Amino acid sequence: MLNIQNLSASIEDTQILRGLNLDIQPGEVHAIMGPNGSGKSTLANVLAGREEYIVGDGSKISFLGEDLLEFDVDERARKGIFLAFQYPVEIPGVTTATFLKEIINSVREEQGREKLSPPQLLKLMREKIKLVDLPQEFLKRSLNEGFSGGEKKRNEMLQLALLEPKLAILDETDSGLDIDAMKVVANVVNDLRQKDRSFIIVTHYQRLLDYIVPDKVHVLHQGRIVKTGDKNLAHELEEKGYDWLKQEAAATS
Amino acid sequence: MTLFHAFENALNGEKDNPYHEWRRSAIDRLQHLSFPRRKDEDWKYTPVTRIVTPNYSVPTKGKVSQEQLDATRIPNFDGVRLVFVNCQLRKEFSDWEDLPQGLTVMNMNEAFQQPAIRQSIEKLLTDNTEYGKDPFVTLNTAFSMENRVFHVQKNTKMDRPIHFVYLNTEEDQPYFANPQKLFLIEEGAEASFVESFQSTAPNRAEYFNNIVNRFQLGANARVHHYKMQNESRAGFQINNTEIFQGRDSVYSNYTADLGGRMVRNNLSAYQKGENATTNLYGGFMGRDQQHFDSHTLVDHAIPHCQSNELYKGILTDSARGVFNGKVVVHKDAQKTNAFQQNSSLLLSDKAVMDAKPQLEIFADDVKCSHGATIGQLDEDSVFYLRSRGLTDQKAREALQNAFLLEVMERIPNPALKQYMADLITQKFEDATTIEAL
Repeated sequence: MLNIQNLSASIEDTQILRGLNLDIQPGEVHAIMGPNGSGKSTLANVLAGREEYIVGDGSKISFLGEDLLEFDVDERARKGIFLAFQYPVEIPGVTTATFLKEIINSVREEQGREKLSPPQLLKLMREKIKLVDLPQEFLKRSLNEGFSGGEKKRNEMLQLALLEPKLAILDETDSGLDIDAMKVVANVVNDLRQKDRSFIIVTHYQRLLDYIVPDKVHVLHQGRIVKTGDKNLAHELEEKGYDWLKQEAAATS
Repeated sequence: MTLFHAFENALNGEKDNPYHEWRRSAIDRLQHLSFPRRKDEDWKYTPVTRIVTPNYSVPTKGKVSQEQLDATRIPNFDGVRLVFVNCQLRKEFSDWEDLPQGLTVMNMNEAFQQPAIRQSIEKLLTDNTEYGKDPFVTLNTAFSMENRVFHVQKNTKMDRPIHFVYLNTEEDQPYFANPQKLFLIEEGAEASFVESFQSTAPNRAEYFNNIVNRFQLGANARVHHYKMQNESRAGFQINNTEIFQGRDSVYSNYTADLGGRMVRNNLSAYQKGENATTNLYGGFMGRDQQHFDSHTLVDHAIPHCQSNELYKGILTDSARGVFNGKVVVHKDAQKTNAFQQNSSLLLSDKAVMDAKPQLEIFADDVKCSHGATIGQLDEDSVFYLRSRGLTDQKAREALQNAFLLEVMERIPNPALKQYMADLITQKFEDATTIEAL
């Protein structure tokens, strides 16, 4: 599904990712954890195609056999990459329903799937909005405008459920959420888990991983993956914090 | 001056008409008026040299095809169409026989024969602070071959809007037209008027439409006035619209400026009775070297009146926009509520917006607010939309549409709201096909 080799990235002359390697097989859920400033969000944004980040020479990202770095953000989205934003943007004047209809069909068209008719789209949206526990009226409102933090994250999960991406990246979607909202996030992910769809869950807290059981947990530190384990690694981090890993990393480098 | 003589010759034979003395006096005054220069504060940002330099001719009758006429129809809009080709009424293309109940349309000479109407018109033509000083209004008075009076009877609700369809053709020589419309809306009457401006050669036709509209609203009268401006990209328009409002009347103006090489709107509302309301809403979208200038004036002379003003625009390439919003609250106009907002988006380094709120408040118990913002498209929003699969162009269009939506949402007629949205979308899409002028 996704193969990252020697990925380096910087923003405004600050080096953030320093030779990151990661391989994700179809159907796998990978959690990325790590202290603040370790590069978790940078990784998520570089994968999505945010142009402010400069990807270093020698970096390779292959997505479903194609060179991902060749594509712009919107091409990546249409090819099946989805980023759930840490801070979803409020867009007054763009109605949620109109926006959703547009993006569902633009993604379906690119992937050679049949476009949906307006009634089909409406039916689908009404069905999926129940999954994220938002009132139907939200479809008529401007995108994220005046939504609470939790409502914005639920709206991200709604888009995830509607777009059915091949690789979904959740950038600290659980940060700032109460338990109920976090369960919604977990439910959507678990609902969509299937053998040809992969997830990258960037999180600061182990709590979410009680509900989404990852295949692998990676710890990111100073722009590299310094440790990889299974779900037990998340528990270990929860108990011991990151300091022991930082020391370990310092000792080996 | 050759132009003036050409018009004078064209007007021969009208000398016996009573309106001719107005015309004569305007022609005389023209000798003493000069066109505004950059040092005139009101024209500082809009050089009229470009407008007045061409060697204009008198407009021809113009040839239009059925297809071109059909293209001027507004989808799902049930207006009574009055078609003006090169600013001359063409009854054969118009719904002339279907004028709504309560509306009488007269030419100036017919109107002058009715003493009561004549009195109103004379008041409307003189009761104007700019009268005699503005060269473009004076030019219009002198040379308006197409001047009509629209009289809506007391307590009548016009059941269908009037749609003034202005269609300009491309001729061998640039031409100059001076349409004039006077609207007498009697007490308690309600009416909607839509003006649309188009050209059969949208990229090439060269002309100058010098328009004058005057509205007299009686007590408790209501008028919705729409201007959907999509002139030729080589055309000029100066639009002088003045409104005189009686007590409890509501005048609402909705302007969309999309076409034209250089367009100047002078939109002035004078409130003459208590509890009058003036709503001025405008949206514009300029590209290449287009130039849109909106000068608005709301003159609050009487207590307990309101005004709401919202102008939003988008400029790209080397386009230029001007908004000058003057609000005068006279000493006696206590309890005035005046709101004004102007926001613009600049999409390129060369686009320029000049925004000037101008509040002159002489009363002490009033609520007046104004705001002007000039910004750029939010790149985080662009990224967000693109990250969901919208192309860069689609994402930017969606955000630009959203920006103008606040203006469009003020439009009460759904068909006209949709029409404005369609014109904007069309303008985005045409961007790549329009040759640089």
